[in-house]
Amino acid sequence: MLLLKILGSIMIIISCSLIGYFYGTRYSKRQRNLIVFQNCISLLETEIIYSATPIPEALESVYKKGNKNVSFVFRDIKDYLLSDKNHSVFDSFVYVTECLKDKLYFKDEDVEIFLSLGRVIGSSDRYDQQKYFKLIHTQLKNQQIEADEARKKNEKMYKSLGVMMGLAITIILL
Amino acid sequence: MEVQKSKNFIEKSFDEKLVFDDILEYLDSNITDVLKKISKDSKENIEEIRLRIGYPLLVYANGQDYFINYNGKLKKNAENSFVVNNENIKKTFNMISNYSIYAFQEEIKKGFITIKGGHRVGVAGKVIYGVNGLETIKNISSLNIRIAREKKGISDAIMEYLINESNSIYHTLIVSPPQCGKTTLLRDLIRNISNGIPELKFKGLKVGVVDERSEIASVYNGQPQKDVGIRTDILDGCQKYDGIILLIRSMSPSIVATDELGGSRDIKAIHEALKAGVKILSTVHGEGIEDIKTKPNLKEIINERIFQRIIILDNSKGVGTISDIVDGKTLQTIFKETRSKDVIIKNIRKYNDNYIM
Repeated sequence: MLLLKILGSIMIIISCSLIGYFYGTRYSKRQRNLIVFQNCISLLETEIIYSATPIPEALESVYKKGNKNVSFVFRDIKDYLLSDKNHSVFDSFVYVTECLKDKLYFKDEDVEIFLSLGRVIGSSDRYDQQKYFKLIHTQLKNQQIEADEARKKNEKMYKSLGVMMGLAITIILL
Repeated sequence: MEVQKSKNFIEKSFDEKLVFDDILEYLDSNITDVLKKISKDSKENIEEIRLRIGYPLLVYANGQDYFINYNGKLKKNAENSFVVNNENIKKTFNMISNYSIYAFQEEIKKGFITIKGGHRVGVAGKVIYGVNGLETIKNISSLNIRIAREKKGISDAIMEYLINESNSIYHTLIVSPPQCGKTTLLRDLIRNISNGIPELKFKGLKVGVVDERSEIASVYNGQPQKDVGIRTDILDGCQKYDGIILLIRSMSPSIVATDELGGSRDIKAIHEALKAGVKILSTVHGEGIEDIKTKPNLKEIINERIFQRIIILDNSKGVGTISDIVDGKTLQTIFKETRSKDVIIKNIRKYNDNYIM
């Protein structure tokens, strides 16, 4: 009987810790992804501003050169854009928003910045596009700083909270 | 001859089908749905597709305009015809510019975009001026898609007039009124000179092409969409003067080819090319030698007798009829042999039959 109690308690503690851990790592993952994402945007900027590559090829090139954990988003945009004549560039950006939230742990604000790029990309000359890229970079930088702080504040807290909750539940049950 | 012709015809008509389908890829889905239904025979004859906001979709074929109804029938009256709306133009323009205006800003400034296959899309709308002149065109209201069709082989029969003894060519000028196949002939001459002609014991020469309006080679993504030969280097979108100097410096061509001489800087560039010992192949707008002698800048080079061969085109027996070839030194006709003249006309007719009418 005692053995069963101990086993049950351990299982509760482990599962609660894991929940806390995964919840906590969302913060560090978002922060890491934002950094890589900024690199991808820089690659896209180079393609557009310096080599004047058309958007579909530019997106493909970002996918190839960038960190695949994040840059797959750009390939998805390209595929969606070319899959149907009725898909606009903005539609294709919208298409990947769910993926940004689920797989890259982006927040709504991060996604909104990305969508603002989708609204203007390709619609003007290079000089004008440069302005938008500058804006996006500052905004993403701010988001990254914010994500950094949120990570520091929350990651440890959620992790310890998980363990604590596990312990609390076991104590109550015992 | 008959066998060859029919074989040629089958091959080409297969090509033509692909040509039209290539263009459909760039059009809005509503328009594609209608154009897809056009009969194959009509498709082959279409030279232009015109889109104007709020007006019927028009195609130009056999020398006249046709309306298109929703079943893809070409008609002469506007009843039930497909009307183009703003959205159609916007989407088509997006696809033509590959969703990337910045990539085509120079082309848009010039008023047209070259798409894959060498077809040209003319653009009209609201023009925006900036500090450096014309900046861009916005609110696109009209698109004109010109279907490019190569006519390989039209220059074969006249090559013998242009080749000299030392395996080189004479300085050659093509004189022609608009729409008489000037650029088409130039392109085919470039191809022949570049590839060489074994039957005439003519070895191919390095040709540098200054393609100011992207008409000769129709470069798309760095690749020529028309066959301009294996020894040809192309400077795309480059002004003639800069281009000729640049090519002589960088690519050491034996021949420099360019389209539509006229400006005073063009004439200067030709003198530069002569200094470098490069042969010149070019075209000019005009009805004949007497006509170009009246034009300010061209008068000079004709009087200097720079061009040793002058080819004169007209429309008398269909587009691209070679009416005369003149020796530039003596200004005497050398294109007298009726036999070869017949061959050429037959040749042109054959191509006209296949491609144009």
